[in-house]
Amino acid sequence: MQQALDVVVNSFLAAGLYATMAYGLAVIYGVMRIINLAHAGIMMLGAYTTFTLFTHFSIDPFLSIVVVVPLFFAGGVALYRTVVRRLPRSGSTPSMESLLLLFGVWLVLQNLAYVLWSGDTQSILTSYTLKSVSLLGVRVGVPSLGVFGMSALSLLVLEFVLHRTYLGKAIRAVTQNRDAALLSGVDADRISAVAFGVGTAFAGLAGTLLSTLFAFTPDFGRSFLLKAFCIIVLGGLESVTGVAAGAFVLALLENVTAAYTAVPTSLQDALSFTLLVVTLVVLPQGLPGLFRLVHVRRRG
Amino acid sequence: MTSKRALEAAGMLAVAGALYFAPSFLERGTLNDLWSVALAVVLASSWNLLGGFAGQVSIGYSAFLGIGAYTTVLLALSGTPPVLTLPLGALLAGGFSVIIGYPTFRLRGPYFTIATIGVGEAVRVVASSLSFAGGASGLRMPAGSYDFESNFRSMTLLAVALVWIALAISRSAFGSALSAVRQDIDAAEALGVNSTRLKVTVHALSAALVGLAGGLFAINFQYVSPGSVFDFRLSLTIVLMPIVGGVGTVAGPVLGAILFGWLQLKLLSIPALLSSSLLIYGALLIAVMLFEPKGLLGLVRRLWARRLRRFYIDA
Amino acid sequence: MTGIRSNRSFALSVLSLALAFTGPAAAQEATIRIGAVLPVTGKESKIGGAYKQATEFAVKEVNDAGGLDVGGKRMKIDLALLDDTSDASRSEQLVEQLMAQQKVHAVIGGYGSQLVQAQSVVPDRYGIPYVSGGAGATSIYGRSKWVFGVLSPVENLASTQMDFLSDLVAQGKLKKPLKIALLIENTEHGKDFQKGVKDYAKAHPEFSVVLDESFELYAPDFKPLLGRVAAAKADLFMCDAHLEDFISMQRTYTQMGLYHQMVTYGARGADEAGRKALGAATDYIFASGWWSDLLPYPQVKAFTAKWKAATGSAPQWYHATAYETVRVLFAAIQKAGSLNPEAIRAALAGIELKDSILPGGVLKFTKTGQAVLPFVVTQNKPDGKVDIVWPKEARTGEAVAPMPKG
Repeated sequence: MQQALDVVVNSFLAAGLYATMAYGLAVIYGVMRIINLAHAGIMMLGAYTTFTLFTHFSIDPFLSIVVVVPLFFAGGVALYRTVVRRLPRSGSTPSMESLLLLFGVWLVLQNLAYVLWSGDTQSILTSYTLKSVSLLGVRVGVPSLGVFGMSALSLLVLEFVLHRTYLGKAIRAVTQNRDAALLSGVDADRISAVAFGVGTAFAGLAGTLLSTLFAFTPDFGRSFLLKAFCIIVLGGLESVTGVAAGAFVLALLENVTAAYTAVPTSLQDALSFTLLVVTLVVLPQGLPGLFRLVHVRRRG
Repeated sequence: MTSKRALEAAGMLAVAGALYFAPSFLERGTLNDLWSVALAVVLASSWNLLGGFAGQVSIGYSAFLGIGAYTTVLLALSGTPPVLTLPLGALLAGGFSVIIGYPTFRLRGPYFTIATIGVGEAVRVVASSLSFAGGASGLRMPAGSYDFESNFRSMTLLAVALVWIALAISRSAFGSALSAVRQDIDAAEALGVNSTRLKVTVHALSAALVGLAGGLFAINFQYVSPGSVFDFRLSLTIVLMPIVGGVGTVAGPVLGAILFGWLQLKLLSIPALLSSSLLIYGALLIAVMLFEPKGLLGLVRRLWARRLRRFYIDA
Repeated sequence: MTGIRSNRSFALSVLSLALAFTGPAAAQEATIRIGAVLPVTGKESKIGGAYKQATEFAVKEVNDAGGLDVGGKRMKIDLALLDDTSDASRSEQLVEQLMAQQKVHAVIGGYGSQLVQAQSVVPDRYGIPYVSGGAGATSIYGRSKWVFGVLSPVENLASTQMDFLSDLVAQGKLKKPLKIALLIENTEHGKDFQKGVKDYAKAHPEFSVVLDESFELYAPDFKPLLGRVAAAKADLFMCDAHLEDFISMQRTYTQMGLYHQMVTYGARGADEAGRKALGAATDYIFASGWWSDLLPYPQVKAFTAKWKAATGSAPQWYHATAYETVRVLFAAIQKAGSLNPEAIRAALAGIELKDSILPGGVLKFTKTGQAVLPFVVTQNKPDGKVDIVWPKEARTGEAVAPMPKG
């Protein structure tokens, strides 16, 4: 019983972080049909920015979010305006050019990190990093709680923006049907810039949160990128709750296999990828598609 | 045969002949460089069959290189001669591509691409856990299996053969069908093209060729490990070369491969450029995607057309 | 058209010039050409970069003193240090390039078992000596007479730790039987460590391995794995990991409130970076390594002082091993009295560097080309202090066992 509780609590905590990582990727793909391979690099940059703020200005990583989020939002918009916008657009179909362009950006960001911070492993040690509390009988690290809290907060804010503001409505409209949205008068360029900004801001936020939990190097971010893909595929693109659900399923799968099976944890990544491929083939619409199917069946 | 075709054939035979006799009059260092460029040409051109002709972008090709390499090493360690290990490696790579092809080709566009990334990483992780395949430490080829000259000849001739294959396909009905699938898969289906079978076939051919290169790779480097052959960066480089050179054409991948080969060997061995390799690759990618998505070949054609236009207009 | 004929003769003259330049090197050598291929960027860049720093330091030291004495002639060192970006194939290609095109007289190997393994197939093809200070995996050595390694086998790193633990049992500080939870990174290094521990446990039944798992490098989340460790209810926790994973894992270990009587992360623990990142959570962790600046030899003190003066910080084990690798190669060249590859190789095979800074004080290579030297075991003490606790002769402090509870 205690072990089951362990698994559930840990899955929730991991899911919060995963959802934040995934959402940054999801919003950019949803609005512009661009797979942002630079996402990993931006998360890495977020971690390093937090690190610099911590070591040079003694700003606590969780407080530095106030600086990181707007900074990265602006950075994202700037990146869109200077580079991404110039890509030859092929309508609503995703292009290989954007994929590779952003991969190029990722490489440049890595190089930048090597030059600014060297390849040394860095980590952030605060007064509460090693402390833990007991939650429902499960020992939970304080940073993990902080990360979960921030993730939940940011996703709630996002939900609010998406459903209660015009901007949010425009983003959802473009995600669902770009042409119809354009016909309805949505300014595609502006929405794309905002979406890219939001995606980058979320990546930066994820980076900050990751920096409180793990040590990092300029190579950091790749395995998280792949998990994020997994989650968007599982959770669909249409809603924050979809992404959150996908994140939870992935985290649960990882923790359950670790706790109850003898599958070596080194094969866990392979498991995630298998889940990814299986989902892509069986449930192309992700979990929301499954729910819809069940809903329709039940009604009919 | 038209005179153009005759010239092409003669040209390829001449290059093949020169490469065959190269070990007798070129320095070992130059031969090493040529081998690397030949490998790059093989990888880029093979990928281009699926990615350029058929328009299906896969970022998981290192899996096929690795399967070919590992098969060759494992069979060699059990005493099988290279004449058998290489084709078997190719066959296994091709077979694997069919197994993953049928489910993943149901996906379109970026979803397919993401699936290939997933498969590539899964293969790497599984390979690092298999103890009979040496796990994370990899495997060494048996002593005495290294024969540089024959390996050099095989790799360079494979490269020439690949250009010939690409040329042949681009001019055939098969090639037209692939092109149709790339441009509009629904329209192609409506016209009676079995797109799935087509995609799986070209994927298998492409994978088998990469698997063959993998076997030669293993023999040349004498050592394989999951990190060296199942690398995501390698998969990305395999995609980069044809894109930078000119995706979907026959000469494009070759140009891209030569450029990358040259970059890798010469530029990046200069100690002063020690920490700039990522920057160079990244900047190159960004520049190509922004300014000339048709790659180097597209750029050359554009400039040539402009020059011709000026020539004719001025006259 | 006349253009073609003149083009052809031009081409021929260029070709012949090129061939002339690529012919055998001039008879009189002015400098000693040494090549090195290291992972300056990429996965192994942290220590790869440190190896670069130490290698350049060693070469500069010799050049500043006027160079090496080769058969009566003083010659300076020309170091060509290339970055393989932690990629095994590139590493091999760069060594080929150094040997085939730049015609170096010797090559200093890289860092990291996979990279060195890939590099080590090349020296045989060209008959050029190769000395690596960056890989302890035994499978690399013994295959070619041209390949030498300064790092002792990783299995011995593990068995030295086990000897230390057995001694603690003999002293009564730990009570047998002792159950071990063993985690290893999925690399050659990890597997050798695992072998060392398991072989020892087989020969000494008071030790038993109750959990034996491997993990991927740079795994993001160690909670599931450490959950299994907790469930195994072992007495000792032994893990072999890279620096990043050590930091992540020990962090999670502390947060989960885990406890074992003794904890080790292989060669990690005393690393300055680790102590900085984890603070008090690293106290009492023991580690075994190829070198420690606490070794009580005068040459170690001299080296530490030199290094501190030049770089401003204390040398870590990887600086020392890299430095010593260059030094033994140079000693061999001087001993050989010429730049003839076979002479240098023979000199390396028989050399005995008597003022070595490595444990034992003497550096020499065994028949396989790998050096087999003793390891030191250190234990972290509070307030950033470190003590050598094994071998007994080199002790600077008492071992504390079992670890005090949080």
